[in-house]
Amino acid sequence: MDVADRLDLKDKLRLADQVLNLAKAQGASYADFRLCRYQTEYLEAREHRLEESSTGVSAGFAVRVLLDGTWGYASSPLATEDEAKRATLRAVEVARASQRLQLRKFVLEDVAAYQDKWQMPMKVDPFLVPTDEKIGKLLTINEAALKAGADYATAAFAFVREEKFFASSHGSRIEQTRVRIMPETEVTAIDKATGKFATRSGLAAPRGSGYDYIQGYDFVGEAAKAAGQAREKLRAKPIDPGSYDLVLDPTHLWLTIHESVGHPTELDRALGWEANFAGTTFVTPDKLGKLKYGSSLMNIVADRSQEGGLSTVGYDDDGVRSLGAEFPIIKDGIFVNYQMAIGQAQLIGQKMSNGCAFADSWSAFPIQRMPNVSLQPNPKTCSLDNLFADVKRGIYIVGNGSWSIDQQRHNFQFGGQLFYEIKNGKLGGMLRDVAYQGSTTEFWNSMDGIGDQSTYFLGGAPNCGKGQPEQSAPVSHGAVPARFRKVNVLNTERKDVA
Amino acid sequence: MILSEAETQDITKKVLALSKAESCTVSMSGFENRHVRFAQNMATTNGSPSGIEISVESHFGKRSGSATGTDLSDDALAALVASSEKTARLAPENPEFMPPIGPQKYAAGTGFSSATESVTSDALAGAIQPVLEQAQAKNLQASGFLQTGQSFSSFATSLGLFVYDQRTDVLHTITARTPDGTGSSWAGTTHYDFSKLDVAAMGGVAIDQAVRSQKPVALPPGKYTVILEPSAVSDLIGIMIGDEFDQRSADEGRNFATKKGGGSLLGENVFGKNVTIYSDPNDPIVPGAIYSTDGQSAEKTMWIENGILKNLQCGRYWAKKTGIQPVPAPTTLTMTGGTTSTADMIKQTKRGLLITRFWYIREVDPQTVLLTGLTRDGVFLIEHGAITKPVHNFRFNESPVAMLNKVIALGPSVRTYGEEVSDFPLCVPTILVDGFTLSSVSDAV
Repeated sequence: MDVADRLDLKDKLRLADQVLNLAKAQGASYADFRLCRYQTEYLEAREHRLEESSTGVSAGFAVRVLLDGTWGYASSPLATEDEAKRATLRAVEVARASQRLQLRKFVLEDVAAYQDKWQMPMKVDPFLVPTDEKIGKLLTINEAALKAGADYATAAFAFVREEKFFASSHGSRIEQTRVRIMPETEVTAIDKATGKFATRSGLAAPRGSGYDYIQGYDFVGEAAKAAGQAREKLRAKPIDPGSYDLVLDPTHLWLTIHESVGHPTELDRALGWEANFAGTTFVTPDKLGKLKYGSSLMNIVADRSQEGGLSTVGYDDDGVRSLGAEFPIIKDGIFVNYQMAIGQAQLIGQKMSNGCAFADSWSAFPIQRMPNVSLQPNPKTCSLDNLFADVKRGIYIVGNGSWSIDQQRHNFQFGGQLFYEIKNGKLGGMLRDVAYQGSTTEFWNSMDGIGDQSTYFLGGAPNCGKGQPEQSAPVSHGAVPARFRKVNVLNTERKDVA
Repeated sequence: MILSEAETQDITKKVLALSKAESCTVSMSGFENRHVRFAQNMATTNGSPSGIEISVESHFGKRSGSATGTDLSDDALAALVASSEKTARLAPENPEFMPPIGPQKYAAGTGFSSATESVTSDALAGAIQPVLEQAQAKNLQASGFLQTGQSFSSFATSLGLFVYDQRTDVLHTITARTPDGTGSSWAGTTHYDFSKLDVAAMGGVAIDQAVRSQKPVALPPGKYTVILEPSAVSDLIGIMIGDEFDQRSADEGRNFATKKGGGSLLGENVFGKNVTIYSDPNDPIVPGAIYSTDGQSAEKTMWIENGILKNLQCGRYWAKKTGIQPVPAPTTLTMTGGTTSTADMIKQTKRGLLITRFWYIREVDPQTVLLTGLTRDGVFLIEHGAITKPVHNFRFNESPVAMLNKVIALGPSVRTYGEEVSDFPLCVPTILVDGFTLSSVSDAV
């Protein structure tokens, strides 16, 4: 039993009315109230033992007001009438104090009012699966890795149930519930004689799914395979740096999409609102509808409805209906849409937010965050082998290694988990010490082959950082394998460190 | 939400009385912040968030489980204890289990300032207003974040340990950009005492440099002599000590400090002789939390002394197994500075780059702590002892382990802020470094 458990819908509606009425009486032209509850479970095993088993509940609310064009918000873990009053008055106080800094007033679009309840479809609720069953699964994964030759193995499951109640002065009253699952595995192989070591992280993506996702994924088989691959990395051929054709597996490419397409097409960045932290973007508003972002094979769609998507939800945290409101970001290689939260569309001559607001906790201010942003499959038949077939000198990259991109989302460098030589259309042996660098539009315009629907994979990140105070957002990215021509590849080994 | 030491102790006692476990720990934390966030010379998302958390970890033999909540009502506390005990009973025995520790001696915390505690949103807006006006007057676009806050944390065990720590924190960062998008600069720092932070001066640094950073020229990638300003140094040092200074992984053969053939490089000359890095929770410039991992007292810890690797973080289990003393995680970090001013470093540089800060740093190879990232918000070419022009940004691929063997000169150590390390405050110098690897050009501004 916790604070949010004790409140039924009637209580939430009463608190919401209290907050919204008080905000209005204080002069707010707009206000919203979000009461959230996050239930969590985290289990982590290292080799044959359980290192951590923890559960958690975090509950509280935030009040946001727009007062004469200036935002103010406040939050509290105590969902009581007294605290709701205190927080509302604090939000008003913050807005009033900040008005002296308001060169231009924020103006909001007229968002439609909804009375609705949305629940993520799910077969097996992870919080109803016995904890010892989940622990047993983790230990079995590690056992398989160690048996297959790994020196060390870790496996972890994190589960989150997010329950949000949203009420706005536009009249919306929305309840939403969804669940996230984040599996993480890693094996390590050591070569004591040389002092070298290699790791191989698991390829299972975090998902907005039930425990049936865990049940349906072959973690044990992958762990055994990963142990062999980590050992193989230790004796793999070092890459000769230079220009290569790359075939990027979707277990890798989803992150390249996230960094080089998802972030650059966020309107708040284009407006300069993230200049001090996450950065701006090279995709300035004058490029809307004009910029040739990539080759004609490139179609990137934003959605809130994809099964298993970490951003799949009925309404965003501004109360804008997002389910079923897919939109293209890149169409046939051309940049056609930004992602937007409320208060932004009018600044580029558009009318309405496209439902991309998210707050990572009950205490955070909703800011523009990514929906599921995915590369659409090739409508024509194309397998992974078809992509290899036309490569004379290339590298096939699987999984994510290190990743980094500049603050305007142009210059990037990505590593991976596994690298394989492609020679004259055939997949060869393993390579090591590989990272590739590129510039966003040049890279995407070099894409001349993509896989079909049968090769589609939904990757994702549970913790994308943005905003001040920094917020961590979960987001999924669908991808197919894709071929890129003449990409600059580095050898990352340093010989000047002992 | 801030609770006093007495209030925290009362709740802790309630929880300990509810416990049926053989042993348990109770930790609490809470905060109340205020911030103004601004962009394009105007306020954006201003707020005053508040939060609280309580965690209980229960132990039965070598079985452990924990539960965390945000509700401090009696019913919720009872449910929290029951949940942690249920979780513990379901857990298999952990052969590496270490029982909670008893009472410890702690230094008095010095990281609290009543001047920070009493700051209002009006005062924050008032402090930043002249900076935004100055930016506008110079036709620049200022964006940034000014936050003050207070927080508390406590840790208790069923063996009688109770420790309470209270802190205040200020974070001020500001970016100034030219409207044509060809110039950008940044300034920022943290402090615990708002009255000692000169918000206007910090803004002035960013504004002046933005003007000088316009229309940068492109230079080829390569190995450069660089002057790294404190924010850039703090990111590299903070990642290395915070994430990679680990005794167990070194002993296990999976760390930069692993010795060929086995064991660690502890006690060996791993860095240049002019490098000394330590943590001191009572440091007057960067006071840290008074307790660390498992409630252990945060002691002054030398990590690198005159280039010798002196300590790696070490948990209680691994310390017991290997017969050494545990080394808790740092709660603050200081790199000893020198006496060379930045102006003197520039004077003694024939050709090099002055770098303001880094962005998006990630580890490429844990074997060598090879990191990649980018320069951001101010890179300047130095030719024959003088700054001659602004330069485009670069991507770097460099290891702090290698870098700390190539430090030519150090400036005075100052409190600073880097985006990559938020676990503890840092005090580091500007450093002059030879042969820093800049591997490609970024045209981002």
